[in-house]
Amino acid sequence: MACNGGTVDRHALKQDSEAIDSLACEGALLANDVGKGATTHNFVEVHAGELAQTASNFADALSERPTLPAIERDVRAEARKAGMIAGLLDQLKEDPDRPVAESLRDRLEKQGGCS
Amino acid sequence: MKIFKIALGILAAIGGFVDIGDLVFNVAAGAMFGYQLLWVVVVGVVGIIVYSEMCGRVAAISNKAVFDAVRERVGFRAGLVTLVAAQVVNLMTLAAEVGGVAICLRLLSGLPYRWLILAAIVGLGIVVWVISFEWIERIFGYGGLCLLVFAVAAVKLHPDWGAVAHGYVPHLNTENTPLYLFFAVGLLGAAMTPYEVYFYSSGGVEEGWKAKDLGLNRANAIIGYSLGGFFSFALMITGGALFLEQGIQPDFLGSIALGAEVPIGEVGLLLALIGILFAVGGASIDTLFAGAYNLAQFFGWEWGRYRHASGAPRFTLTWMVLLGLALAIVMTGVDPVQLTEYAVIFSVVALPLTYLPILLVANDRAYMGKYVNGRVSNVLGVAYLVVILAVSLTAIPLMIITNVGQG
Repeated sequence: MACNGGTVDRHALKQDSEAIDSLACEGALLANDVGKGATTHNFVEVHAGELAQTASNFADALSERPTLPAIERDVRAEARKAGMIAGLLDQLKEDPDRPVAESLRDRLEKQGGCS
Repeated sequence: MKIFKIALGILAAIGGFVDIGDLVFNVAAGAMFGYQLLWVVVVGVVGIIVYSEMCGRVAAISNKAVFDAVRERVGFRAGLVTLVAAQVVNLMTLAAEVGGVAICLRLLSGLPYRWLILAAIVGLGIVVWVISFEWIERIFGYGGLCLLVFAVAAVKLHPDWGAVAHGYVPHLNTENTPLYLFFAVGLLGAAMTPYEVYFYSSGGVEEGWKAKDLGLNRANAIIGYSLGGFFSFALMITGGALFLEQGIQPDFLGSIALGAEVPIGEVGLLLALIGILFAVGGASIDTLFAGAYNLAQFFGWEWGRYRHASGAPRFTLTWMVLLGLALAIVMTGVDPVQLTEYAVIFSVVALPLTYLPILLVANDRAYMGKYVNGRVSNVLGVAYLVVILAVSLTAIPLMIITNVGQG
């Protein structure tokens, strides 16, 4: 992943993009369970926290790392997306009530392009 | 009481076969390739049954565990190379398992990770010091049965059973062949990881197996590892049915537990976390003992949990030092899941050094008398040795080419 260092090329961007989408989709699954009351507070706090931290790391790395000029705009856009997903996962970490959890699920699904 | 007697096999299966390496590789393989790699689990299960039965038989007949045999059969220098390789991989695995215990406790309790690492180390030390070998087997072996929740999860996720059945037939349906091979190597390495046979054979000596226990040895190996294989199938099917379609890369232990939560709910989550806790806790004890067994057997020290600390002081000191080293490694902040991936791949490289001496000793009439390998054991043993050799030569190149499975 791009967090490893070096210049971001198309292959690295594709890999990072998939990893960021993965975090969003996993967060959406978790948010869905939060909405149904089918999980525990501790699990949500810890696991959503891990997902949020990883998304945040991607956001930092992709916004700062050198990139190929041709894909710089795409890389920075991906950084913003990762930051947005990290923010949603941070909200999920608070183990919100049902309507908020459902809203977070929908927004995470949209961000991650989840099937 | 017969069911209690196969506890060694169940502990070896759950603590060895279904350790953090298996949890990670099986679910990740399912998420990456669906059910295509189920056949590798079958290959791994048969291999570990063949070699565990062999080294259990050696233990029962000769009262010698694997590293006794290594030292006697391959000599001091080659034996020392094997010992160093085994101990490095063992320590990496132990650290990963201890980290896994702390992560599980954190997912259950929400308490700070570093405090839970300390709690895990202290808890494991107390368990090993206070509880008898038999009860360690029972507690962790049967506690790990909570992992059966993944079988229920796999069914409730409604996988395409035709595709599942097709997964038991070796086939390649991917554009990324190196990644497929990396996961195949990782799954085989996780299934046949060397510490399983170190622990298993030493456990046989600890339990005082004799020739009359050969049936028990066979039952332990077949039932225990088949059960481990069943868990692996369930984990991979869960990974394939849930994560593949969603494009999710399950990089955390919490992701694996989520695999049971989504189809079953809170009860599924709790059973999964408890099952994982016992599995990685059992594996921590397996690797801890295996490291101490190896060193003690190689240098001819008194060893065995049954001797108590005063009867085997250097053995006792060794496991304490190993526990301290594992604590130091995990406290650096290294990710246990990533550490596991490296440990499994490096263990693959060490596989031939472990399994060749077992095969040699099991064929040695001076050790085994009339209990030497039969034709079936030898055919399977040699075939697996060839596979193991091929896999050990390709493991590191595949790890580099695929960037440790990142593609």
